[in-house]
Amino acid sequence: MFTLPLDLLLIFTLSTPIVGWATSRYRKGTLSGAYAAAGLAVVGAALYSLYFDVSQAAVFSVPIFGAYTAFLRVDMLGVVMASIFVGVGFAAAIYSIGYMEKETDVPLYFTLLLAMIGGMVGVVFAGDLFTLCVFWELMCISSYVLVAFSREGGESVEAAFKYLIMSGAGSATVLLGISLLYGMSGTLNFQGLAQAFGQAPASPWLLLASLFILAGFGVKAAIVPLHTWLPDAHSAAPSPISAMLSGVVIEVGVFALCRTCFSAFIPVESQWLYLLMALSVATMFVGNLLPLVQSDLKRLLAYSSIGHVGYMLVGLSIGTQLALTGTFLHIFNHALMKGVAFLCAGAIIYRLGTRQMDEMAGIARRMPVTAVAFSVSLLALLGLPPLNGFISELTIVTAAFQSGLAWLGILVIVNSVLSSAFYLRVIGVMLQPAKSDRVKSVREVPLTMLLPIVAMVSMIVIFGLWPDPVMRLMQESAAGVLSVVSQVMG
Amino acid sequence: MDPSYYLVFIFALWGIGLYCLVTKRNMIRLIFGMEILINAANLSFISLATGLEGFVDPLAHSIVVVSIGLSGAVSAVAITLVVYAYRHYGTLDVRELKRLRG
Repeated sequence: MFTLPLDLLLIFTLSTPIVGWATSRYRKGTLSGAYAAAGLAVVGAALYSLYFDVSQAAVFSVPIFGAYTAFLRVDMLGVVMASIFVGVGFAAAIYSIGYMEKETDVPLYFTLLLAMIGGMVGVVFAGDLFTLCVFWELMCISSYVLVAFSREGGESVEAAFKYLIMSGAGSATVLLGISLLYGMSGTLNFQGLAQAFGQAPASPWLLLASLFILAGFGVKAAIVPLHTWLPDAHSAAPSPISAMLSGVVIEVGVFALCRTCFSAFIPVESQWLYLLMALSVATMFVGNLLPLVQSDLKRLLAYSSIGHVGYMLVGLSIGTQLALTGTFLHIFNHALMKGVAFLCAGAIIYRLGTRQMDEMAGIARRMPVTAVAFSVSLLALLGLPPLNGFISELTIVTAAFQSGLAWLGILVIVNSVLSSAFYLRVIGVMLQPAKSDRVKSVREVPLTMLLPIVAMVSMIVIFGLWPDPVMRLMQESAAGVLSVVSQVMG
Repeated sequence: MDPSYYLVFIFALWGIGLYCLVTKRNMIRLIFGMEILINAANLSFISLATGLEGFVDPLAHSIVVVSIGLSGAVSAVAITLVVYAYRHYGTLDVRELKRLRG
């Protein structure tokens, strides 16, 4: 119905609660988690076969015939993004088996996790704006519930409510912007929108619609004046969900901005990209200055996600093929780096029971594997050379210098230096001698939690030393996005 | 049909929804504000569906039906969260829920 990977995701979403219901009370969580992880592995295999279809035909439309064609339109970018989402989701699912052991209603948790991944995959496969919106809501609704999932305090419910109101208002604003586009062109298909507006002069209505859509998707992507929900929601959620939210969900917002910018908004592209450039500078500075004053580990990591969204927006606002390659590469690398960082933070919180950094002094001696993995991911987030974060930041900076925007490249470097202050502070705290007795009594987390962390950290190192295969994929994706523009402009 | 009167009304409705979200303290009213925003978008689809003379585009109507369903789901989740927040704090005033610092 919706291509094999998406169908499988929806089927596994619906069957996970049945597995949880059918199994005994004692092993309910473990079995439903294993079922969800196995489902995600199968989806990964299906994505791999879809990759071959796409690499031969460039674009894969569903349905191929009929009155309303191409409500799904899978291109290289879609397949690459979907693989990132499913990969991080797989790691989070395996990790959650150990992490959520003590919680109740765990089958429901895995159902929501699969539904969220299904929504994200649907967003990147969507061929028209309304399909995008429907899957967007699927992703949003399941993420609201997941943020509120740990019910031990009122904090998570409050954060989820704040997230829901801001994100819901954002979705409504996007819908209004889409309705204006529909009123002007009579279609919502990305190809149709590009053809309808491509040659037309920039009209004020189009500019208005683009501002509505920027504001709406900007809430989800945490662009700066609209970022206030992010630190609360990402720090109150269970740690594997924080890894998903920071690692991939906010990037879906960046993806949606990229899709609409290079199809519907071709006539107003230059104004739009200047606006995005200004916003990206603000986003970078807020995301790299505010973590300096945080004492809560997860809140610090959540703020640093805002800074990384700023780097992605810099690439998007330059708008050349090299810059888009850098943006997509940074989405991939950030998913790995921030995924590991939140999973390690979760491991420390799981053993220690606190999110305050002062109380974590000396944890490196008690949990050596977690501490090493955490340090590697933080150094990668900082952009240290042999690791993968450096490659994508270098690509974005190079693109900025090539396009004559040297000041923007220099600002990225300045921000990278600023961010070292708080990333190194976290590593410093972990290496201090142990102060409290609580730290002295902890031990390493169970193997199911350690395995995803180690696998993802080795990928950080591998893709830092050997980025060529991913780089080539991202180049193809960027070329695919820009080919829509060049087709329309003739 | 000229949709400009409808558009004026739609933007007024959008402004009312945003005003409600910015000024109100009660959690239920915030949900209403969000619903008003969604209804402005729905109304916009319906009024812009009559681009051609004597023809109403069914695409916009099917979109609005789906959108109403989605907004119902969002409200259901929101009201569930309100119930949990009320059980925990005993109030619906968002400014009294000051456990979080931003």
